[in-house]
Amino acid sequence: MTFLRPLAALVCCAALLALAGCIASTPPTTAEVGVLYSKGTGPMPMLLATDQVDGYIAWQPFVEVAPLAGIGKVIAYSGDLPPAGRWKNHPCCVLAIRTDLAAQNPGAVNAVTAATILATDYLQANPDESAEIVADWLAGKGDFTYGNITVSSVAVLQRAFPTVKFVNEPTEPWKNGQVEFVHALRDLNTLTGSLQNASDTEIRGILFDTQPYTAARAMIYAGRITTPPKVTRKLGIGYLMSDHDAALFVAVKKWQYFNDTYGVALRPQDPSKTRPDLVDLIVNGQKVAEIALVPGDAGPQLMQLAATDAVQFAYVGNPPTIAAIDKGTPVKIVMALNLEGSGLVAAEDSPAKDWPTFVQWAKDRSASGKPLKIAAPGKGSIQDVMLRYALRDSGLSVKEV
Amino acid sequence: MKLQIQGVNREFVTEQGEAVHALDDLSLEVQEREFICILGPSGCGKTTLLRIVAGLDRPTSGQVLIDGHLIDKPCPRLVMIFQEYSLFPWRTVRENIAFGLEIQGVSREHRKDAVDRYLTLVGLSDFGGQYPYELSGGMRQRVAVARALAIEPDVLLMDEPFGALDAQTRNVMQRELLRLREKTQKTILFVTHSVDEAVFLADRIVVLTRRPGKIREIVPVTHCPHPRDRTCREFVEIRRHVLDLISEGSTD
Amino acid sequence: MGLPRPLLRILLPALILVGWEVASLLVANPYILPTLESVAQVLFTPLTDILGSGSLVENALISIERVALGFLIAALVAVPLGILMGRSERVKTVFDSTIELFRPVPPLAWVPLALAWFKIGLASIVFIIFIGAFFPILLNTIDGVRGVKRTWVEAAATLGARERQVLFHVILPGAAPTIWTGLRVGFGIAWMCVVAAEMLPGTTSGLGYLILYAYNFGQMQVIIAGMVVIGLIGLSIDYFFKGVEAREFGWRELER
Repeated sequence: MTFLRPLAALVCCAALLALAGCIASTPPTTAEVGVLYSKGTGPMPMLLATDQVDGYIAWQPFVEVAPLAGIGKVIAYSGDLPPAGRWKNHPCCVLAIRTDLAAQNPGAVNAVTAATILATDYLQANPDESAEIVADWLAGKGDFTYGNITVSSVAVLQRAFPTVKFVNEPTEPWKNGQVEFVHALRDLNTLTGSLQNASDTEIRGILFDTQPYTAARAMIYAGRITTPPKVTRKLGIGYLMSDHDAALFVAVKKWQYFNDTYGVALRPQDPSKTRPDLVDLIVNGQKVAEIALVPGDAGPQLMQLAATDAVQFAYVGNPPTIAAIDKGTPVKIVMALNLEGSGLVAAEDSPAKDWPTFVQWAKDRSASGKPLKIAAPGKGSIQDVMLRYALRDSGLSVKEV
Repeated sequence: MKLQIQGVNREFVTEQGEAVHALDDLSLEVQEREFICILGPSGCGKTTLLRIVAGLDRPTSGQVLIDGHLIDKPCPRLVMIFQEYSLFPWRTVRENIAFGLEIQGVSREHRKDAVDRYLTLVGLSDFGGQYPYELSGGMRQRVAVARALAIEPDVLLMDEPFGALDAQTRNVMQRELLRLREKTQKTILFVTHSVDEAVFLADRIVVLTRRPGKIREIVPVTHCPHPRDRTCREFVEIRRHVLDLISEGSTD
Repeated sequence: MGLPRPLLRILLPALILVGWEVASLLVANPYILPTLESVAQVLFTPLTDILGSGSLVENALISIERVALGFLIAALVAVPLGILMGRSERVKTVFDSTIELFRPVPPLAWVPLALAWFKIGLASIVFIIFIGAFFPILLNTIDGVRGVKRTWVEAAATLGARERQVLFHVILPGAAPTIWTGLRVGFGIAWMCVVAAEMLPGTTSGLGYLILYAYNFGQMQVIIAGMVVIGLIGLSIDYFFKGVEAREFGWRELER
């Protein structure tokens, strides 16, 4: 029985360590909030309803889902997050295009840009119809069942639409907003490449190529889209399952209208599909290119696809785009798609009702040794950046869980 | 038909690295329609010899000729019948018997006729549709013989074919084999380690020494007419003689 | 347990269903355990479109097609290679270490490479499924070929069979039961890879895709319904394989 003595010693050591572990978990010195990265926003309502997180920050329409399903309340829309006024009209999703395609096939790039511009204009003019189109694309206009509650996807989308400000012009204030984002990302130490030490002017040069936008606007104004030469290889557009990318959905679903009215359209090869995955770029009745529509889980994944040239266009959030450009992915931002359009949601029974009470709640929970857990979609996404920045601004530290 | 075994030597190295000299300068001539039993103590190389004649093994030196042609690979003129796992278990009795003919491309009709004939010959007409696993040991070996006969070979090579059968079935099979031999007049090379069996069956018994196997003596049994009476004087004498040869060989 | 066989078979599933209903009522949180009705509703309307992603039946057929393709290619490569490796010790030695190196790597780990090599589309999905099915088929084929008794081969040779005839008339039929087992296991694994394979970006159909899409929209009942369908299909196909095994390869079990 010679193993008894060392065994006893082992057990004693283990017990001591466990004890030490108990004593060592004192509350952190600064109030802390835990951020949990879920892949995309889909699981968030479920995580909230099963008490695995205390809240989440997501893009629309997943913000509206919470109050509609009775599982949570909206604390703040993204434009209202602190620092005060910083995120008002913050740029959200953009159209990013690979520079090599822009150089080789500028005509086709301009045509796609034109299609996007026209779609966004349509969105602004016809919000209810567009909301339905998005509901059709995302969910076949079906119902969402959250527990015992069933909500129609159309209702969800129509509620969400007003909070997503659809624009397209790369205005000066918009560009400034993008530069602001670069600064924010720098503060968070996520930029290590070309944007790390660039001056503001340099940043603009690195990020933007608004030539296609200008050219497209000119063609629309002149009433005629130039027919570009055919593109021989199959192209790809990456997008997210969010109403932020409504422009793409409207462009494809209403292709007939855009074709007849403006002579440029993204015609689905199989119009019977609820969610087409293959479209033809048609200009003045001629097929110019075949484009695959590739849905992604989140911005960073889409930029991965762009980096490997699996897609050449991306309808995507700006922080992932900025981060990718910083690392050397050969894309540039061409135009805006929307402003704001995200929100922070907290559990139904939480004491928070707005940002200040939310912060207090976070501090109280942290002090009692059970810091809040907030879900965010993907590290480096726009929601993630805004949340962390806002939390830091309010004196809270962030820990990834 | 003449089968000539000339100066066959077989040496090889085992997996463990041992050098084995299995057969030493063995020569034998087999006449047509002869029934030869190859007999010897365990490990004397009798199976090795049979395999070399079948073309399944090559001699280190020396050669085997059939009608002057060298045997260096298996050939349907010399068919082998094994002790165990001789039949193809996924084929019925009929399909087993038909195998050799199928390989040759014989038409279905002709095959059927041949199979029927040989099934009847070995007395298994009612069992054509059975699978080997449904048959007894003795029946399986009968099918194996039928299968071999079906391609009308010159020589039957049998490697202790009744070794896995019980004593009674064994006796039955021995008589069966003699009856078939009478009917078909085939040349048979039969390996066994049972002296009794050899004396009962053979025209000549080739007695091998212990390894390396050489011919100790060739004992003729032709003067005993079939069916042989195990109790008759000649039988007993020959058996004793052979036994002596073998036990001497073991103590050498 | 004096109950008749068929009753015994459905006993556990029936208990599970009852337990589920009870548990969902007790837990009363449909996010943790959706009710039996909500799942049943999805299952009993298999031809209705789900979230714009197609119906259960449509997606099931697409998944089956893909798995069948990946499985077929795996079989076409693995069986001949297995026969070669089973027959020739030398060939086996050449391939052995490479195969043993790749075998433990789960098909899911191949996803990034699959995307890089085959781009988005059917080819990358089929590749993942191929990886899943390949090894069981290969290993079983080698086993089966090595299990072919030497006497069968030699008997055939002395009966006049040439090399190629031995292969088709002895080796293949002799190894067939074990190869069939390999195919059965291989298909099972290939079917399990469906969800993993259909997780690749750019996939827009199939049961795995449907489940993931439902996950993205928090529709638990669809996820469970999808799982049930996946399980049922896997079960049926396994039954098919076993059925053929019993009919054609009965001799294997009963051989001495």
